[in-house]
Amino acid sequence: MTGYDIAIVGGGPAGLAAAERTIAAGLNTCVIDEQQRPGGQILRQPPTGFSVPGWLSGAPYRTGRALLRRVEADPRLHWLGCRSVLGITPCAQADGFGLTLSGTGGGLEHIAAARVIIAGGCYDMPVALPGWTLPGVMSAGSVQTLIKAQQVLPGQRIVLFGTHPLMIVLAQQIVAAGGQVEAVCFAQPFAAMAKAALAHLPRAVRTPGPLAAAAAGMAALRRHGVPVRYASPVIACEGADAVTHVRLADGTALPCEVAAMCYGFLPQADLPRQVGATMRWSDPAGGWEAVHDDAMRASVPGLYVAGETTGVAGSDAAMAQGAIAGLAAAQDAGALTPSQAHAAMRAPRRARAAMQGFIDLLRAVANPRPWLPKAAADTLLCRCEDIAAADVDRAIADAAALGDSFGASAIKLRCRVGMGLCQGRTCEHAVIRRIAARRGCPEAVVAGFRPRFPARAVSIADLLDHAE
Amino acid sequence: MMHGETSQFDILIVGGGLVGSAAAWHLARLGLKVLLIERGHLNAGASGQNAGSLHFQIERRFLEQGEQAAADGARIVSLNRLAIADWRGLEDLLARPLDIAMHGGLMVAETEADMALLAFKVERENALGLPSQMLDGAALRERAPCLSPALAGAAWLAGEGHANPRILVDAFATGAQGRGAVIRVGTALKALTMARDGTYQAVLDGPDGETRVRVPRILLAAGHWVPRLAGLLGLNVPLYPAPLMMSVTDRAAPTLPFLIQHGGKRLSMKQTEDGNFLIGGGWPSRLARRADGSPDLDSPPLVEPANLRANLEVARRVMPAIAGQALLRTWTGMTCISADQLPIVGEVPAAPGLFVAAGGSLFTLGPTLARLLAQTIADGAAPEELAMFTPRRFAHLDAFAVLP
Repeated sequence: MTGYDIAIVGGGPAGLAAAERTIAAGLNTCVIDEQQRPGGQILRQPPTGFSVPGWLSGAPYRTGRALLRRVEADPRLHWLGCRSVLGITPCAQADGFGLTLSGTGGGLEHIAAARVIIAGGCYDMPVALPGWTLPGVMSAGSVQTLIKAQQVLPGQRIVLFGTHPLMIVLAQQIVAAGGQVEAVCFAQPFAAMAKAALAHLPRAVRTPGPLAAAAAGMAALRRHGVPVRYASPVIACEGADAVTHVRLADGTALPCEVAAMCYGFLPQADLPRQVGATMRWSDPAGGWEAVHDDAMRASVPGLYVAGETTGVAGSDAAMAQGAIAGLAAAQDAGALTPSQAHAAMRAPRRARAAMQGFIDLLRAVANPRPWLPKAAADTLLCRCEDIAAADVDRAIADAAALGDSFGASAIKLRCRVGMGLCQGRTCEHAVIRRIAARRGCPEAVVAGFRPRFPARAVSIADLLDHAE
Repeated sequence: MMHGETSQFDILIVGGGLVGSAAAWHLARLGLKVLLIERGHLNAGASGQNAGSLHFQIERRFLEQGEQAAADGARIVSLNRLAIADWRGLEDLLARPLDIAMHGGLMVAETEADMALLAFKVERENALGLPSQMLDGAALRERAPCLSPALAGAAWLAGEGHANPRILVDAFATGAQGRGAVIRVGTALKALTMARDGTYQAVLDGPDGETRVRVPRILLAAGHWVPRLAGLLGLNVPLYPAPLMMSVTDRAAPTLPFLIQHGGKRLSMKQTEDGNFLIGGGWPSRLARRADGSPDLDSPPLVEPANLRANLEVARRVMPAIAGQALLRTWTGMTCISADQLPIVGEVPAAPGLFVAAGGSLFTLGPTLARLLAQTIADGAAPEELAMFTPRRFAHLDAFAVLP
């Protein structure tokens, strides 16, 4: 079994920033990622051998691209791409962790690492609304992935809907890739967004970059004649065999080939949960974020977390956190003295602190909670197991008849919600919201699905054809 | 605040699993006033964690410990016969569908040695009135074409199968509630004492704070927690935690109507009503440890990757097509095993009025043991079928207990 000083899960901004620090400290470091090349979701690169002119040339990507170039070129980096981490377990006999990876070309790989940094990123929050299982209904992130990695559009006429300003960025990217954005539909009124923004503006201007990018994005959409609608919540996606239009609350039907939802992001939390790290409910959007100390140490000794896994805050924050986590791991490994580590943490800590204003602003502006569309009784909440909202509500009512302490796992046992291929990633937040509503308690106190091995479904043949 | 003592209940049942819920159902039907408490939520322990096998052939774990253990294990067959009848009647009894499939079970053999062991087993079973029978390789292939052509044969028993562990406890619990049983979830037994008059005073810790109840009878049906609970009275119940793991695949078209076990290796495998394959068979997971190295029974056990692979490997040897499925989830659960492998069910001699019921195989046997135990509790008569499970066989462990 291959052993490392440091295993970093996730090769996005946080993981790369962490790797840069641990490698510089002389630690044997591997970075594991599902993609072929480093970069993560935000800096998703085209496959080796392809080049995309002007790839992510915008200002918001500049710092990340520089980091990516530095780390990817470093011969000391052990890049383990095209692999999923299926499980992390504390070693039985020694300190450290064993990681089970799905290998490239079948089989499993096992590696050992004295310390693990989880920088798993986030994923688009899937929101169940009538018609969301129709072909053509996608997440904004998946549209973006197709464009970034392959310069492919999923269809020609695209409607973006939700609450998150990332829609502005994505609309630009669609237009630049030759697509047509029928409309960007913000559920919230412009006044509500402006009010939420104003409250945080004085602190947010400490990092003016993202604000300037947003303004430039709006201007670009105006130039291209992309309609941006406010107070236009989408209540259903409609069509016979595929989506043909989205329905707004006022009855308007907007025709489209693709309807991409963008209500925000959930932290990738299955690995820290599987290894037993303390998590907390992520307000306001939902999902579970890993709790950490001021040097990104999680509650499990030897485990560190960085980036969106600790709460969605964007790639600049992720890079700062990654650097801090890498330095802390290097310090704990004895590769840096406490004073060296502390001195080196000063800059990323300062940078991270300066971003807080903008992060708060974005969270307030993008807050999906008041604007989430409602699932109908027959809308599937769990699209793996075909469990409708009414089935889930019935299971919740049955559980509630016996007392009030139940969590999501009890509902899963009753009606199979969350039992399928996605391992509950899609529906868990919705199930928790419905339980909290029924119990009349905060979502934060509702226990989620119990995390299980493997973090990703894996073929049994692959599991067995592994040579020890 | 501490609520006042109440003595309105005839029995306190500790544990909201299958045995506790089924006992509550039967006792409520017999007219007793039942209070059932569950520390977490109903069905959260082994009752909901097991893979739902209805296995009535003598278990492999008895066979692998030599002839004497096999002979001891064979005594359980008389109870298995009752259990088959109970399971057949359960959906009618509880008036709801429970995903019970009793299309038969195959304990397969790969080698001639396996076949010899199965033949020995079938002979014992037949002598005790259990109509199992041997199938040679050709007969096995005819019955179950989805299995590997390399198998040497199998022992077949009609009536084996599987049920859905996710829904059975709820059926018993809501039925018990409908008959007047009081169920409190999120409520733990914090302290337990025996008064001079032989009644039990329990301190319960629940969502509304602490309450005290005084009851003439108590049933501890909390699986591997029973030793700890009995320990509140200074009593010893020799049950030891056994952390296991089970796996589930994605769904597939139905190909496997039977319960599959293996005569020579650890395996249970079946296809659920929903199409998923469940794979288990007694492969150990690993107990979580506290910082000081002691076992942490409060945390879920950890998956042991080598055992997972070994479990799936046996499954593939028996049914090669399983390799084409995706592993969705491996979960761990905690059963327990007694000092002599048989469940411990009945009244504790040192503490009249205190009943225990735990000790493994209690999904298959749970409905039957709960029914028999409820009779004992209600009318004091001890059914003959329960005799072999009596806690009396471990009475020597309580020789030094101090009770009023």
